[in-house]
Amino acid sequence: MSVRMTQITALVLQSIAAGFRYGFDVMEACQLPSGTVYPALRRLEKAGLLKSRWEDAASAHAHGRPRRRTYALTDEGWRVLPEAQSRLQEIRRLLGDFPPVETREA
Amino acid sequence: MALPHLWIRVTSALVPRSDRGDWIEEWDAELAATGGGMRNAWGSLGDAWYLRTEGWTMDAMWRELKAAVKGHLRKPFFTALAGVTLAIGIGANTAIFSVVDSVLINPLPFPDASRLVSYNHEAPGLGVKVPVIPHSQAMYLHYLENARAIQSFAVFGDDAVNLITDGEPRQLSASQVTQEYFRVLGVQPFLGRAFVEGEDRPGAEPVAILGYPLWEETFGEDPSVVGSVVEMDGVRRRVVGVMPQGFQFSDEDLWIPLEIDTGAPDTGSLQYIGIARLADGATIETANAEMEDLLLRFAEANPDELGPEIMEQTGMAADVKPLKDVFVQDARQALWVLLGTVGFVLLIACANVANLFLVRAESRQREQALRAALGARRGDVLRQYLTESVTLALGGGLLGLGLAVFGVRGLLALAPTSLPGILKIGIDGSVLAFTALISVAAGLAFGVFPVFAYGRRDISNALKEGGRSSTTGRETHRARSTLAVVQIALALMLLVGSGLMLRSFVALRNVDPGFEPAGLMTFRFALPAAEYDDPARILAFHRELSDRLAAVPGVQRVGMISGLPLTESKTAGPMEPVEKPFPEGELGPIVERRSITPGYLEAMQIPILQGRALTWEDQADQFRGIVISENLARAFWPDESAVGRRIRGQGNEFSWEVVGVAGDVRFDDVEDEPLTVAYFPVLRGTPEEPGGSLSMDVVVRVPGDPLGSIPQAREALRAVDPRLPMINPRTVEAVVKESMASTSFTVLLLGIAAGIALLLGTVGIYGVISFIVSRRTQEIGVRMALGAPAQTVLRSVVGQGLVLTALGLAVGLAGAWALSRALASLLYGVSATDPLTFGGTALLLGLVALAATWVPARRASRVDPVEALRAE
Repeated sequence: MSVRMTQITALVLQSIAAGFRYGFDVMEACQLPSGTVYPALRRLEKAGLLKSRWEDAASAHAHGRPRRRTYALTDEGWRVLPEAQSRLQEIRRLLGDFPPVETREA
Repeated sequence: MALPHLWIRVTSALVPRSDRGDWIEEWDAELAATGGGMRNAWGSLGDAWYLRTEGWTMDAMWRELKAAVKGHLRKPFFTALAGVTLAIGIGANTAIFSVVDSVLINPLPFPDASRLVSYNHEAPGLGVKVPVIPHSQAMYLHYLENARAIQSFAVFGDDAVNLITDGEPRQLSASQVTQEYFRVLGVQPFLGRAFVEGEDRPGAEPVAILGYPLWEETFGEDPSVVGSVVEMDGVRRRVVGVMPQGFQFSDEDLWIPLEIDTGAPDTGSLQYIGIARLADGATIETANAEMEDLLLRFAEANPDELGPEIMEQTGMAADVKPLKDVFVQDARQALWVLLGTVGFVLLIACANVANLFLVRAESRQREQALRAALGARRGDVLRQYLTESVTLALGGGLLGLGLAVFGVRGLLALAPTSLPGILKIGIDGSVLAFTALISVAAGLAFGVFPVFAYGRRDISNALKEGGRSSTTGRETHRARSTLAVVQIALALMLLVGSGLMLRSFVALRNVDPGFEPAGLMTFRFALPAAEYDDPARILAFHRELSDRLAAVPGVQRVGMISGLPLTESKTAGPMEPVEKPFPEGELGPIVERRSITPGYLEAMQIPILQGRALTWEDQADQFRGIVISENLARAFWPDESAVGRRIRGQGNEFSWEVVGVAGDVRFDDVEDEPLTVAYFPVLRGTPEEPGGSLSMDVVVRVPGDPLGSIPQAREALRAVDPRLPMINPRTVEAVVKESMASTSFTVLLLGIAAGIALLLGTVGIYGVISFIVSRRTQEIGVRMALGAPAQTVLRSVVGQGLVLTALGLAVGLAGAWALSRALASLLYGVSATDPLTFGGTALLLGLVALAATWVPARRASRVDPVEALRAE
């Protein structure tokens, strides 16, 4: 199943590629509300561009918090990433600037 | 639990069950990890909605829609029954809403209409029933000069002019307006120009502006009429403009300037209605406060017109309000009641259709169980049901819209003529939106019903049984019984409401207006003041017309009055007995003043209780006698005879001798107590200011059909003055009927609504009981096979129906009692909680429900046990 690459899905995909793993982190990175980010995550996952898994519960509890769901790009996701990025640039060119996604320091 | 987490749980209801656990955990964890508050939690709704609707592609929905429509077409009887039921409910609502929309909701058809205000006074102390207390010329000039909260201000008064076209005299209704009038309303003539400064001052050339319909019909849409001179009432007026199509303010045909002499304005006669446009930044409150202040200043400066005692006694105060309020005074309450009423009808219709759907859902249990076994979720079933019910409701709505188009036409044909033409009633965009909205709402309402009724049932059980259940599930039973109870309750509430209105109507019909309307024909004439400027000539006209009418074969009595009872014409003022005048500043009773000719009281059959009626001799010697009403005589001389006493207009020098006392007459409204009246001769001026009534209502008593005398009456009028039109000839009974029109209109509509409710409610309870019986056929068969007598079966089924009926009646009576207050102000001569009406309608509905129960019960008691056990 394919997904239509919109500004939002492209932003979400790009921010996960940049290293944001959790839903709320992606939200912060894209500066979009949760009601927008989550449906995009669902769509990308369903299209096979993202995969999600639960963190290890023990290590999460060791940090004193519940386990969180993490998102990562699939091989297919990495394959379409350049396309998404060029799409973003095109949109940026057409619509002007919007919040850039920074690269998270390793 | 913290609010965000609680919210997650609420929205999780939308998430498909298989994903729900993980979904909650993910959101909880994110919120916990980031310390996010509600700001971040809101989005869970969007996420949940996305997951719920994922599969809802346009394609799938389209397929579902087609399946639903096909399903409806496969069951034409069911579909027709449900569709027509809904169409009645939705159509009634659409029709009433279109009236509510244009009368109460839509703004007046003028630019920036929200800034338009009625700029007048109120005077609660006067106790007269008028929408506003208008201005005198002097007051108008005072406000015009000093008010700052309004950017433009105009006053107008009603007038009538006679126009001769093609040799036929015709009376036209004219508005006399000051020159700012068109600027206030924000509309300019589309041909020619509006009035200009100075045209409303004495000595200016007489001009007129035509309304579009008059220009179209009488002047053949000829643009060159602008600039030409037309004779009206003996005055040659130059036409300076034509107003655009659709422009009308108070149902007038044309506009002429209201002449006001700024040097010596008329005082004391408050007869010009004010309209204004608020200035930028001003509000109704600030305009009102300023006007209040200006009114006090005016009263101080003009103690002759508005002395402090008068101000106090009448409670006269500024009254600035939205202009629209003036038009919808009386209609407001009745309309809301009607809208509520048809809302009830729709609810009953929905209950009926919900019941039909329940029946259908029952027979589809196997289908649904199969779908569930194949992996359909509860949400899918819900969606299927809702698609079916909403498509059905939209179909019903479409049909209802058609009904409403005719309904509105019927409504307008029946509606009291007092519905002002300025409120353009019809079906427009917002009405369509309303219809669509209630259709969808109705569809959702009865669509979810079966899902809740069946939703909890064990699917595997349903599959096994395949509908072959000996008794239906408890929930469906309860659902269906609830529907029956609700229907009966709603129907009773409507019946009580219409019963109360019907009793008011009967009470109104039985009121003695103080005269005998049967056998009377009436019409009006208006003499042009320019020609009838001599009292002797006026009197001669009245006398000659009376004689000619009396000479018509068959005519028994002829009389004239300046303003027939129960019509809108109104002249009144305070009066006092000469021998004991009211102290300065105290206001005497407000007395209706009418001029009559000899024969009027006799023609109307108003009894003379003391003294005598007026004669032509009283008329000739214009300063002699008057007749007063009994209640006025009692007010001034409670224990003595009024005949021979003298009364006068309060504060006036000139007085009149009471020569007779006549019976009381209801003047204002049939439902209002009779007003105090003074009957003057035709010539009722004072020696200083002689004058007479130029416009009179003629009453002619004839045996047989009163309308049959119209042609001869017209001939008689023409013989006296060929240029005078006969205005509004009709029976006096029609006048009385019209004064009750708004009540009878409400009665009619409530009656129709209650009739529909009764019908639908009866069908409803019949459907419920017969379905219960059909479901119990097997059980009844077993019982009868075991020896239960038919009587017991009958009693058991009827008993079941009666319990439902009794419950419904109890709820309905309580509901009607709670709602009766809304009706109270519309009632006359009957209490809003009238026990007879409550009891009678409950009894009627109980009997109808009993009959609806009886038929299926009889069928049950005749069940053949063998057949029953074999059944299904």
